[in-house]
Amino acid sequence: GKVPASSVVASAPSDKNLDAWRESGCRTTHCNLEVLQESTLVFLATKPHVLPGVLQEIRPAVGPHHVIVSLAAGVTLQTLQRLLPAGTKVLRLMPNLPCVVQAGAMVFARGSGAGDEEAALLKNLLSSCGLCEEVPESYINIHTGLSGSGVAYVYLFAEALAEGAVKMGMPGGLASRIAAQTLLGAAKMMLETGEHPAKLRGDICTPGGTTIHALHQLEKGALRATVMNAVEAATNRACDMAED
Amino acid sequence: AGVLAAHKITASSPDTELPTVSGLRKMGVNFTVSNKDTVKSSDVLFLAVKPPIIPFILEEVGPDIEARHIVVSCAAGVTISSIEKKLSTFCPTPKVIRCMTNTPVIVREGATVYATGTHADVEDGKLLEQLMASVGFCTEVEEDLIDAVTGLSGSGPAYAFTALDALADGGVKMGLPRRLAVRLGAQALLGAAKMLLESEQHPGQLKDNVCSPGGATIHALHFLESGGFRSLLINAVEASCIRTRELQHLADQEEISPAAIKKTLLDKVKLESPSLSVASASKVSLFTSKS
Repeated sequence: GKVPASSVVASAPSDKNLDAWRESGCRTTHCNLEVLQESTLVFLATKPHVLPGVLQEIRPAVGPHHVIVSLAAGVTLQTLQRLLPAGTKVLRLMPNLPCVVQAGAMVFARGSGAGDEEAALLKNLLSSCGLCEEVPESYINIHTGLSGSGVAYVYLFAEALAEGAVKMGMPGGLASRIAAQTLLGAAKMMLETGEHPAKLRGDICTPGGTTIHALHQLEKGALRATVMNAVEAATNRACDMAED
Repeated sequence: AGVLAAHKITASSPDTELPTVSGLRKMGVNFTVSNKDTVKSSDVLFLAVKPPIIPFILEEVGPDIEARHIVVSCAAGVTISSIEKKLSTFCPTPKVIRCMTNTPVIVREGATVYATGTHADVEDGKLLEQLMASVGFCTEVEEDLIDAVTGLSGSGPAYAFTALDALADGGVKMGLPRRLAVRLGAQALLGAAKMLLESEQHPGQLKDNVCSPGGATIHALHFLESGGFRSLLINAVEASCIRTRELQHLADQEEISPAAIKKTLLDKVKLESPSLSVASASKVSLFTSKS
């Protein structure tokens, strides 16, 4: 809600995706150049392989006043800067899916032409969608492994929790809702108390109680190592794909 | 450990050839081969014998137990009620305290817990605590936790020795001489334990503090996690605790073999200190010699 819809213009080759924008009250067009002409802050949200072509197209219209933010996975600042006029203010953004419910986790890195003002603008604007932090570009692939793909790990965990409950006799729909709320609540406590998760975990474990018995099962299954493996695999894959 | 003067301690053992005997004698501890004499000249009796021997010792010294005596048993799996039951045929209100300690008392870094019996007063418990605190950490617990304590800190030093052996192997594999590897490994664990004891922080936080992003330590930790390091330790504590309970259960049921009485015993008090100091007035009264 930081920017009025009428100040937003979205461009796409077909109407397929534009309806949603129009419904929110934004202006739409099929002409990329029009976006450049009407806007200062421009988000490039195409698939990575399409991006170089788009950059070629808009390059003539890019000026020193523009702030170009790319969301294309794996397209480096170096590449972006190479395909745009020298000195263009370029930033690279990596969001994650829950941005759509304003609970996203986003990181961005600035190119050589972007300054504190542009970084502050982006951070301020995006904070309405969740957590937004500036990072060195090298962290972006790690963010993918942790939080971009990480959302899927959480879905998997939630599904497994619910299945455990179903096995023990609870209906699936209810189990699913409770699983989700459990994750939400735990995450909220972590964010609000700022306490170390190990401490929060210990606080729940009454001696000889249910929780410690369950945790032992998780440790037996080397859950921690498996999760670390997952983050590592996704990060490495992001790096590999970037090089392609 | 300087809490009690050696001459106020009496130790008894049927076998005078044991190295422990000469060690105690050198410290100035009174020595006898008669358990009965020990009882007569002391107020606090530490029964430091193997669990199967306890019933025999109690039979032997039972008649000499008086109301003033505090009987402290360190025998694993021997319950307070079993000792009280045995002694009650001789003394109506025997003071019994059960304790569980561990081997590092030898270097005054022991971990000791105790549970007080029906007739032991708060001061009796505090006296024991004071004595054992001189050789490490000592606190009171409910008796039903003693098995868990055994699993954790009773057996714990063995887990640590195993870990240290392996850490040293790792060091040697990567090029360190064995002696140095052992020394460094031990110091690392000592230092870490000390940091944890002196810190308010959770061990998870302390671990994080050591792990710089993408660094050596986090890579190593990933290996530990992959191997289920944590669950192995949990399993170990659990196994030791469960086994302790099993042994106790067996002991409750078994008939003691007469052969056991022939085993070498040492009835001793655990306070070792090369530097002797005179006990304070309040303790002297409890250890006055009868004769």
